[in-house]
Amino acid sequence: MDELLADDGTARPIGAALMQLIESLGVDELRARQRVAELDISTMGITFTVYTDGQNIDRAWPFDIIPRMIDGREWDSISRGLSQRLVALNMFIDDIYNDQRIIADGVFPAELLVASANYRPQLRGVRPKHGVWAHISGTDLVRDHDGQMYVLEDNLRVPSGVSYVIENRGVTKRAFAELFERQRIRPVDGYTDELNRLLASLAPDGVADPQIAVLTPGIYNSAYFEHSFLAERMGAELVEGADLVVGDDDFVYMKTINGLERVHVIYRRIDDLFLDPEVFRPDSMLGVPGLIRAWRSGNVGLANAPGAGVADDKVVYAWMPDIIRYYLDEEPGIPNVPTYRTMYEDERRYVIDHIHELVVKPANESGGYGILIGDRATDVELSAAIAAIEADPRNWVAQPILSLSTVPTLVDAGIEARHVDLRPFVLTSDRSYVTPGGLTRVALTKGSLIVNSSQGGGSKDTWVVDRFTSPVEAQHQFQSGGTG
Amino acid sequence: MTVLLARTAGRLYWGARYVERAEDTARVVNAYHEFVVDDPSEEPLRWEPLAVLAGSHVTIDVPASDPTGERTVLHHLLADHSSVCSIANVVGRARENFRTTREVMPREAWQAINQLSQYVEATASGAVDRQLRNRFLVHVVEISRRLDGVLESTMTRSEPYHLIRLGRLVERADMTTRVLGVAAAGILAVDDSERTGVVNDEIRWMSVLRSVSALQMYQRATHGPIDGMAVVRFLLAYGSFPRSVTGCFEEMRRVLDVLPSPGDVIVALDRAQDAAAAAHPDASAGAELDQAMETVQIAIGDLHRAIHARYVDVHT
Repeated sequence: MDELLADDGTARPIGAALMQLIESLGVDELRARQRVAELDISTMGITFTVYTDGQNIDRAWPFDIIPRMIDGREWDSISRGLSQRLVALNMFIDDIYNDQRIIADGVFPAELLVASANYRPQLRGVRPKHGVWAHISGTDLVRDHDGQMYVLEDNLRVPSGVSYVIENRGVTKRAFAELFERQRIRPVDGYTDELNRLLASLAPDGVADPQIAVLTPGIYNSAYFEHSFLAERMGAELVEGADLVVGDDDFVYMKTINGLERVHVIYRRIDDLFLDPEVFRPDSMLGVPGLIRAWRSGNVGLANAPGAGVADDKVVYAWMPDIIRYYLDEEPGIPNVPTYRTMYEDERRYVIDHIHELVVKPANESGGYGILIGDRATDVELSAAIAAIEADPRNWVAQPILSLSTVPTLVDAGIEARHVDLRPFVLTSDRSYVTPGGLTRVALTKGSLIVNSSQGGGSKDTWVVDRFTSPVEAQHQFQSGGTG
Repeated sequence: MTVLLARTAGRLYWGARYVERAEDTARVVNAYHEFVVDDPSEEPLRWEPLAVLAGSHVTIDVPASDPTGERTVLHHLLADHSSVCSIANVVGRARENFRTTREVMPREAWQAINQLSQYVEATASGAVDRQLRNRFLVHVVEISRRLDGVLESTMTRSEPYHLIRLGRLVERADMTTRVLGVAAAGILAVDDSERTGVVNDEIRWMSVLRSVSALQMYQRATHGPIDGMAVVRFLLAYGSFPRSVTGCFEEMRRVLDVLPSPGDVIVALDRAQDAAAAAHPDASAGAELDQAMETVQIAIGDLHRAIHARYVDVHT
């Protein structure tokens, strides 16, 4: 299905004003506006990093001018579902590193933990503030042909993309200024303030004006732009591992021109395993020796907490509905994609019998690696997948093949439908915050489902639109134009 | 509470030095261009003396197809990415440095740098041609001035701002001595040639003043004719003119006054200032002028190392 157009090609109510404007502008004017938007992006230095690009490691961020829109009422319900999911996920992580009630109660199998690549047994017994481990998450949502939104993936480690949510909005505001005049589009600018507040709340007790730092692996990281953006927006320091040192007092310091200055909270954008060579990979050059020691002693706040990735695992994902019910005694607000766990005999049989209509995913790979799409695979690939599942049933899950929804997109041939997903960002502390909308990624190749920017994907601004509650109000808004 | 990471301090200082180098190179090339165009003699002036900007011992091989060295030298100074002193190279380095300091600078400042880099990337090789040259050079100067304007009017006067100022001033002082070095090389080149018509002295020194945008201020200050000795003294010692070597030093002193414990940097600054004050070369003797400028450049180099040791290579 299409997010803006009904099956007969006419605009849905939410997309009516936009599609009408696009029609009146004509495709040439639309292209002109697209070019201006691209120039904006290039002048403002909104980039993403590609490793193999030689000298110019930062490339202009790919962007499509036609926004994706979501009705405000639908968004409120999605937003509640996301908050609920992250509260439950955090209770799960805290439980796993402490009492393991959920295992004792037989809801979650202990053997899964042992096999999990992102479980850090070194961190058992740590109790971070608010009981929260995954403070910042980027949850991937997709809409199937029946219009239902599903959670496809929970990204709890170092999810990226939120800077582009904010930048895309800035660019779109200039491109479609006339629509912002007439519609109620929820602003996205508040994210960095919320993030700042969240990070400040993680400061050690008694620190009134905490020094916050964003820890980046450096300019070669694909998300370096975002690290810099967030530090800039929050007035935080952007630091690399070598800028930090942990003293004998187990405090974290940064190396300034005035000597060592204490750091109270670190928003780390370095993977767990590279964070502290004393605890994890001893060969890591990116991290800070002693950082985990300082964190355990309560001398520095870390977001996200190391070890949070234990819940960010494709097999654990399959238990999410149970996890939500177990901790919150509520039904999930946003459904999971039905997931078959091949570690169980009956589900494995089903997967093998229906493999041509399923997506098969390895449990511990990321970035789309190792995924097999049943209806596009050859017989040889299918038999190989079956053999792999039978050899190591705990390492696989399978899901039905979803058809991602589409949004009209400006391409060489004109305006055509392209598949999209959506990554809202959720902040969790003693309260929850969800970005209005999120990052819409679009597969620019016709028919493709690959939305990654490194593989020909683009992005769109995402508008959560509140429709006018009464006709009188609507009329007033339209008549007054931009003068009010 | 504001703090400045030592690593960031280094990037700001270097970023500022590179932008200033690009701007000053553009000024010098533009002035030299006018000098060559104005020269009435039959035998055209050569461009190699300009290459002294890159350092007095740099030699550039000019092919026979380029009789005056114009294209070769300008490619080297404007567009050649492999030449450490080309505008293309230094602007690229400025951007690399400032890309990692966005959180401490006004957004508009980063956009000016980014725009400078995109403009130079797209236009530098075309500017080797006379037709596009002036436009390119003027635009490079303008964007650099805009960057300073943004910083001047919107950046908090705290440590990051002062480090940028220091970078600008060290580079500016150094470039002013190099402009005099170019003049020295020009005098030597004429002495060596079998040129019949002597280069008009007044035109040469006028061009030197133009290289640092000082012609008008010189004339207002001296009310006199353009004379080599007076120009050299003006550019070295006339502290009220902001691009004179002494003017840069005095401004650095004001910056160091507000930076934390400058210590050895002040000592190095005193020495550099003494070196500039002691230099009284004969402006018509190329070798002597060149030697005097090298002495001042060495003192500026020591000052640079003192800044680096104090604010960048901080050992804790």
